[in-house]
Amino acid sequence: MGSSDSARKPLIRINGLRKTYREGDQHHIVLDGISEEFYEGEFVCLHGKSGSGKSTLLNLIAGIDAPSNGDILIQTSEGGITLNRLTERDRTLFRRDHIGFVFQFFNLIPTLTVLENVTLPLNLMGERDAYEPAASLLNAVGLGTRMNAYPDRLSGGEQQRVAIARALVHNPRFLLADEPTGNLDAETGESVLSLLLHLSRSAGKTLVMATHATEIAERADRVFHIDSGKLILHKG
Amino acid sequence: MGNLRTLLRLAWRDAWRRPLQSLFFVIGVSIGVAMIIAIDLANSSANRAFTISTDAVVGKATHQIVGGPNGVDESVYVQIRRELGYRDSAPIVEGYVRVKTLNGQPMRLLGVDSFAERPFREELGTAKIAGLNQRSFSAFMAEPNTVLIGANVSDEYRLPIGESLEIQVGSYHHKLRIVDVIASENRRIRRSLKDLLVTDIATAQEIFAKIGKLDRIDLILPDAPLHTTALEHIESMLPPGARIESSDARHGAVIEMTKAFRLNLTALSLLALVVGMFLIYNTVSFSVIQRRAVIGRLRAIGMARGEIFAMILAQATVLGIAGALLGIGLGIFLSRSAIGMVTTSINDLFFVSNVREIDVSALTLLKGGLLGIAAAMTGALIPAYEATRVSPVGTLQRSTIETRTRGSLHRISIAGVAALLLGAGTLLPDWHLGLTFLGVLAVLVGMALLTPSLMRGFAALAATHWLRRKIPILGNMAVRDIDRTLSRTSTAVAALMIAVSVIVGVSVMVGSFRMTVERWLTDLLGADIFVSPPAVANSQMTEKLDPDAVKLFETFPGIARVATARSVEIDSKDIGRITLSAITRDIAGEKRHYKSAVGNHAETWDAFRSGGLIVNEPLANRYKRSLGDTITLLTDRGEVPFTIVGVVYDFDVRPGAMMYDAVYRNYWDDPHLSSAALFVQPGVDVDEKIGSLKSVFGGNLELVIRSNRALRADALAVFDRTFSIFIALQMLAAVVAFIGVLSALMSLQLERTREIGTLRSLGITRGQLARLTLLETGLMGVIAGLIAMPTGLVLAAILIYIINLRSFGWTLQMQLQPSQFTLAFVVALVSALLAGIYPAWRMGQMQPAEALRTE
Ligand SMILES: Nc1ncnc2c1ncn2[C@@H]1O[C@H](COP(=O)(O)OP(=O)(O)O)[C@@H](O)[C@H]1O
Ligand SMILES: [Mg+2]
Repeated sequence: MGSSDSARKPLIRINGLRKTYREGDQHHIVLDGISEEFYEGEFVCLHGKSGSGKSTLLNLIAGIDAPSNGDILIQTSEGGITLNRLTERDRTLFRRDHIGFVFQFFNLIPTLTVLENVTLPLNLMGERDAYEPAASLLNAVGLGTRMNAYPDRLSGGEQQRVAIARALVHNPRFLLADEPTGNLDAETGESVLSLLLHLSRSAGKTLVMATHATEIAERADRVFHIDSGKLILHKG
Repeated sequence: MGNLRTLLRLAWRDAWRRPLQSLFFVIGVSIGVAMIIAIDLANSSANRAFTISTDAVVGKATHQIVGGPNGVDESVYVQIRRELGYRDSAPIVEGYVRVKTLNGQPMRLLGVDSFAERPFREELGTAKIAGLNQRSFSAFMAEPNTVLIGANVSDEYRLPIGESLEIQVGSYHHKLRIVDVIASENRRIRRSLKDLLVTDIATAQEIFAKIGKLDRIDLILPDAPLHTTALEHIESMLPPGARIESSDARHGAVIEMTKAFRLNLTALSLLALVVGMFLIYNTVSFSVIQRRAVIGRLRAIGMARGEIFAMILAQATVLGIAGALLGIGLGIFLSRSAIGMVTTSINDLFFVSNVREIDVSALTLLKGGLLGIAAAMTGALIPAYEATRVSPVGTLQRSTIETRTRGSLHRISIAGVAALLLGAGTLLPDWHLGLTFLGVLAVLVGMALLTPSLMRGFAALAATHWLRRKIPILGNMAVRDIDRTLSRTSTAVAALMIAVSVIVGVSVMVGSFRMTVERWLTDLLGADIFVSPPAVANSQMTEKLDPDAVKLFETFPGIARVATARSVEIDSKDIGRITLSAITRDIAGEKRHYKSAVGNHAETWDAFRSGGLIVNEPLANRYKRSLGDTITLLTDRGEVPFTIVGVVYDFDVRPGAMMYDAVYRNYWDDPHLSSAALFVQPGVDVDEKIGSLKSVFGGNLELVIRSNRALRADALAVFDRTFSIFIALQMLAAVVAFIGVLSALMSLQLERTREIGTLRSLGITRGQLARLTLLETGLMGVIAGLIAMPTGLVLAAILIYIINLRSFGWTLQMQLQPSQFTLAFVVALVSALLAGIYPAWRMGQMQPAEALRTE
């Protein structure tokens, strides 16, 4: 795949990324100077022990956490931006417009119905006609009949499918998923994953996913392991 | 409980984990406790100051012979002592004077006969007068205008022996030379000496224009069995108009007068603690809900229900104790201002009172502190119980909790209606005033219990109407968040609602009261110019007006008519002491509104002139007297029944009556006048006339000469002053409510951390987040404001038609001003929004990644 990769344009480029936490006098190094590129349309899997820094890396790429060192560059239609150099507000707006995020704990807004949860990203962008895209996505994830239910009436798998629809509804440039099946039983996890892959692939979206489940690795374009703060390519 | 330490440690950790909420809890309790203590200290200090100074001057006297407004004749004393042989008797002439030399403060001047003093006021030092060094003794005895003052006053004001004091009594000034100082080992005596001047009886008679008269004759009567015979013996020889009574009875009655006033203050002082209880309930509820998972785990590892309950209650108790201690300190501090306000009101309304020390009684502090702790524990009771219902299996879904809350909503509402009915049941019959206040509390609690249901209603209304269209998603979220967190937000809203409704209630009451009084004064003060001698206090109208001045008014150019009044305190046989005004004409004239009268204006006046009594409403209401009833007054001719021919509106706190001047003079040997009202001739400029009157009397005769406008303004100033303490108390309660809302919002924010993290990661901007928060809090404020309006109106009605009527016997007309309601609404909205600002800011500051990491 290597040759075809280089033909593709890099979408996310991380450059000497470091993340450390102070713990008393000591610096706890979580990410230790990572540099890597993720390409348009590829599916990247991040493996690693619990506490290895998978979430940290995804959070940095999403711009909801700030690196200690290094840069995150993202290609856009207007050129490129350095996410961590943006103002807080611009970073928020960038996230809102260009990133879809799927969490381990679903993180649906309990006060909003299924439909409203999915329209939320569009509403935040000031979009008026959010119904159509949301409804069609909900149909696609098989929840077209549960649109007016509240999240706490849904099973875990259903909630995660809503979260997938929410992550895709505003047509983001890429998707980040942090252990999306971590809280689901194996069977449900498998079906949710297939759905996520199917939807992101068919829309040609880049998907960076942190996961424990090794069997998913087979379907990934590239697989990385995070170990001692380093990103090690395992496949691809 | 062996593991109490463990429980306390767990409780302590939780309190520390949420430092601000714990702090608010403590502050809420402390303000409540502080208000109770401040008012209690002020009330009891005022009482004690009165008792101490009275005790000192009463000394060991068991009985007193007293007379009418002009006192007892000296001859009675001579008779008692010489003819009946009661050696334990002492004549007294006393009154209040303003001491110019001591910054114009009022002091009690006691005129004594040094030879008779020995058995009575030994501690006061008056008995030792005979033992003074020869020079000062003879000076005190022989020289007029000599005075003894307390050694402490002498030191404080650097007034050594030989210096002079300038005093004022009514229009007249006197100079008294200090011939000696009185020192005492006794603390109480030292305190009473701060307000006391002692002169020879002759000097006092001259100062108070009571030549040949005594205010009272003190007696020490033997104990039983001789007691009754002695009493009868003396009684049989007393002239009509004089009587003998026990010393205690006389002074108890004076303090009794202020009882309703003090009770009203005490009731309002409890308000902050009531509001504070909502805050406490709220804080503990939040902490229980947030610790649900932890509690479940503790249950799973074997903690018993009772221990969970104890843990939650222990936490509230510890914080309650902290709040109580802080409140005690704050209360002592605040009592300094409170005592000033209370004393001013007592001076304005009741009697001369000169309180300069706060008696910090341990009992008051203990009472206030315990009330605070009890409130903290009561507020924690329900959440603590709920905590015991957490199943060990694990956490209940938040939505389930809320569903359950909604399930119990109608039960809460039914309880609310029940509380309202209970309130109505307590308020309608005319029971004890304390019970009436309990009724008010029940009404407030009832409205608070209805708040959750009303909130749901408003939220639903808002959701279906404007919000949905205006700001679709945020509006929806705001409305639903309120609904979802009803179990906690409703308490904050209820607390705010109560505070605001009290603001509405009290301001409508005060506004109505003020307007009623203003109209009444406008009608009443029909004359153009009012003249009176300067009074020691606003409540004192018994100073004497110079008779020559009155003669001069009658012939003064431009003055058409003069009406005079003599105001005195008269004892009645059946209803205690009343203020009697003997008048020559009704200054209100045709504008006089009788509440009830024997006939039309002229007929009533005729009945009045021929000996009828016109009583004020406080008298009629408090003592249940109406037209045609009689009141037996103790005149100088003996007991005489007078028939009530009219009842007039009046806003004095004291029962009072009017009598025709000639009738008064017929029954009492009192040549004096207290005030005069002048009617100018048509076309005469009132202010100009006042100017020329003042220049005529400018010299040594000090008079207060005011236009009716100025008099009305002065009266209203007293009114405003009286209510300033009520306003202050109500403000403090509002502060507690504000803290409650702030605390609740901060807890909500803590609870929603993860949700906020999600929203932030979805790309909600800080601005949008802030708008969401402020929308929510604003909505809570709006709801609180909306519910507060009818509640406040009901409260105002209760205050006006029930509390005031029963406390003081006043009929007030309710006057509603839109501004009062607008203001209250704005207060609710603004305080809710203000309370939202900090949490909104904190939410924006939160790192989304961190927020998502929380459990
Ligand atoms: N706020 C923080 N303070 C200190 N250490 C943190 C903080 N957030 C994360 N960490 C540490 O960073 C490491 C990586 O965490 P995370 O990215 O969540 O791991 P993963 O998602 O791979 O399980 C862990 O050791 C964790 O303890
Ligand atoms: Mg993780």
